[in-house]
Amino acid sequence: MSANEYLLTAPPHIKREDRISTAMRDVAIALIPVIVMALVFFRLYALVNLVACVIAAVASEWVMRKIMGREPNIGDFSAIVTGLFVALLMPPAVPFWYAMIGTIIAVALVKELMGGLGYNIFNPALFGFVSMLIISRLWALENVTLNLGSLDGVTSATPLTFIKEGVLNGLRPGYWGLFLAHAGGAMAEVSLIAVLIGAAYLMYRGHITWHIPVSIIGTAFILSAILGQNPLYFVMAGGLAFGSFFMATDWVTSPDNRLAQIIYGVIIGILIVVIRVYAAPTGAVAYSILIGNALTPLLNKVVVRKRFGAVKTVPVTESE
Amino acid sequence: MELKTFRGGIHPPYKKEATAGKATVKSSVPGEVVIPVQQHVGAPNTPTVKVGDRVEAGQKIGSSEAFISAPVHSSVSGTVKAIEERPNFTGAPTNSIVITADASQPDKWAEKKDVSGLSPEQIREVAKEAGLVGLGGAAFPTFVKLTPPKDKPIDTVIINGCECEPFLTCDHRLMMERPDDLIAGLKLMMKVVGAQRGIIGVEANKMDAIDLLTSKVSGEPGIEVVALEVKYPEGAEKMLIEAVTGRRVPPQKLPSEVSVLVQNVGTAIALYEAAALGKPVVERVLTVTGPCIKEPKNLVVKVGTPISHVIEQCGGLVGTPVKIIMGGPMTGWAQKDLTASVVKGTSGILALDAATVDMNAEQRCVGCDQCLDACPMFLTPNLIVKSARLGKWEEADKYGARDCFECGACSYVCPSKIPHVAYVRKSKAELAAASEVKGGA
Repeated sequence: MSANEYLLTAPPHIKREDRISTAMRDVAIALIPVIVMALVFFRLYALVNLVACVIAAVASEWVMRKIMGREPNIGDFSAIVTGLFVALLMPPAVPFWYAMIGTIIAVALVKELMGGLGYNIFNPALFGFVSMLIISRLWALENVTLNLGSLDGVTSATPLTFIKEGVLNGLRPGYWGLFLAHAGGAMAEVSLIAVLIGAAYLMYRGHITWHIPVSIIGTAFILSAILGQNPLYFVMAGGLAFGSFFMATDWVTSPDNRLAQIIYGVIIGILIVVIRVYAAPTGAVAYSILIGNALTPLLNKVVVRKRFGAVKTVPVTESE
Repeated sequence: MELKTFRGGIHPPYKKEATAGKATVKSSVPGEVVIPVQQHVGAPNTPTVKVGDRVEAGQKIGSSEAFISAPVHSSVSGTVKAIEERPNFTGAPTNSIVITADASQPDKWAEKKDVSGLSPEQIREVAKEAGLVGLGGAAFPTFVKLTPPKDKPIDTVIINGCECEPFLTCDHRLMMERPDDLIAGLKLMMKVVGAQRGIIGVEANKMDAIDLLTSKVSGEPGIEVVALEVKYPEGAEKMLIEAVTGRRVPPQKLPSEVSVLVQNVGTAIALYEAAALGKPVVERVLTVTGPCIKEPKNLVVKVGTPISHVIEQCGGLVGTPVKIIMGGPMTGWAQKDLTASVVKGTSGILALDAATVDMNAEQRCVGCDQCLDACPMFLTPNLIVKSARLGKWEEADKYGARDCFECGACSYVCPSKIPHVAYVRKSKAELAAASEVKGGA
C-alpha cells in the first residue's frame, strides 16, 4: 500500500471549475444581443463580416501558434471573441476582406506576437480596428472612399458628427432611437439596450464590475456637461457604452485593483471627451481606451491596494 | 440570525456530509509509532530517551530549553526501537523517535481533578508540560500564546470553531460531543490572560453545535456563541477576529495587538484535559474522508500513527486516489505515499480522486482580478506571482508576499489555475534569505 506514489503539488488541492474558456464563452454569450441587433439591421453585410472575422481570427491564431511552437489554443474561445469584436467595431458596409485584415493584425500581431493571451499590452480587437481606421485614411487619399469608421465613428450622418458640429436637431436619432435601435455607425453601436443586456450578463457572471464602465461614463457625462454638450446624448451616442462595458473592461489590458481601475476609467473618460469635442469624433473611444491600456502597467505599479489592517487601526480598549 | 464575517473569501463546496454526523471513534493502536521530535512552530526538541528504553504512554521523550517550543510525549507504552531521520508530513527528513507499542495499552488519564484552584501561572505550566500546540493545524506552542506581552493586555479570548476547510468535521464533532470540556478549557484560557470576554465563533453550517453551545453557555457570564457566515477562510485568525470583534490586526502583527487571543476548539479541550487529567497531547481527533476512503470517519488517533494505519481503520482506499492530503484540501500537505505519521497538528487525512483534485495545467494570468477579490488580506496575488516569476522579490513583497498566510483562496478562483501559494512560499524564502544577508553584513 505504501509503495504507491501520489501527486505532490502545492495547495490548494481543489479549485473552482471556471477556466479562461468559461469566461471567453460568457463574453461571446454576452455579445449575442448586440450581434442579433446587427443582423436584424444589416443582415447579410453583418453576417459576412462576422463570419469572415471569426475565420480570420481562428486561422491566424492557429498559424501563429504553429510558427511560434505553441500548442493550439482554439478551445479557449479567445480568438473567436476577438474576431467577433473586430467585426462589431466596424460599420457593416466595410468590405469583409478589410475587416479580416484588421482581425489578422489583432490576433497575429497584437496578441500572439506579444506572447499570446495574457502578455498583450493592448486590447487586440481595438488595436486591429484602429490600425484599419488609420490605414483607411491613407488609402482614401489614393483612390476609393471606404466608409470605415466606427467605435465612435462613421463618415456619414451619425450621432457623433452632430455632436461635433454642435447640431442637436434635425436628422439625428432621438434618445429612444439610440437606446433601442438605430442604423449608423458600427455594428456594435446599433442598440444601447443590447449592449446593456450583455453587460448585465457579464456582471452577473462576475467577469466585470462597475468600476471601469461607471467611471468612464460618469466622467464623460460630467465633463461633457461642463463643456456645454448635452451630457445624456453624449454618453448614449456612438460606441461609448460598448467601449466602456466590453472593451475597457478587458481583463488583460485593464489595471488589477479597483482603485486603479477607477483612475483608469476617469482618464479614459477625460480622453474621450477631449478627443470627441476638440479633435475627431471618429475613433475617440477606441483611441482613449488604447491610451488607457498603455497606462495600465504604470497604474498597477503605482496604485497598490491597502492591505488588511493597514486601513485603520482600532484603538485597544482596556479590559472593562 | 445575523451572521458575522469578513471581506473577501470564497465559497468552495464543503463536502462535510460524509462525516459531519458521525460520532468520533477510537482508532486501534498501531504496532509502531513514529514521533517526530518537532511537531510545532519554533525550536526543535532533543530526544530525552535512548534506543532500547522502556517508555510509558504520556512520558516526555523530547524537549527543548528554548521559549518558543513544545515538548513531545510518547503516545504509547512500549520500547524505543530507533531514533533516526524519517520524512515527516511535509516530506522533510525529521529526527523521529520510533516506538514499538506493547500489545496491551494501559487505560490512563481517567481521574478528573478540579481545575478551579489553578493559578494562571500553573495553567501556563500545564500547557507547556503537556506539549500543547495549536491543534487547528498551525501548531504554534499554546504556552507562548498564553504569555502575551505585558504591555498588550488581552480582553477577549476567541475559540475558533469555524472549521472553514472543506471536508473536515473533527472540530464540529468535538463541539457536539464535548461542549463542557470546551467551555472549561475556554475558562482556563480567560483566566490565564485575564480576559473578561470569551467568544466561541462557529460557522452557520454547524447550527446543531451553535444551538448546543448556546444553551451550555447561558449561565456563564462573559461567554457567548457567535454564528458566522459560511465562507472560507472564516477560521483564519485575523479574519475571525474581524468578524467577531470588528478589530483588524495590523499587517505582520499578532492578535495581542488588538487585545485578542484565538485558540482552536481542539486546543481548548486539550488544555482542559491537560489540567484536569494531567494528559499531554498524545492523541487527537482527525477526519478521514474523501471520495477514495471506503468508510469516512472522525477518528481519535495516537500521535505517531502512520497514515496507512489510519486509512486501514476506515476500510482502506477505494477507487483511484490521485492525491493523499494531510490536513484540509485548501492548505493541507500532499503526501507522496502513506508512510508519514499523524502529528499534533493533523486535522484530517483525505484521499481524493481526479474528479475532486484540480488537475489542470497552469496557464497565463489573464488579469481577471478574481484573486484580488478573493484575497482576505487585500493583497494582489496575480502581481506577486508576476514579480516572483521575474525574481523581483522586493516587488513581490510590495504586492503583499509576506502578508500572505497562504489560505489559497486566490488559486481556488483562478481561471488560469495558477498556484499562487507556491510562488508566495518561494518569495518568502527569498526575502528571508535576503534580509539575513543584509543583517549579517
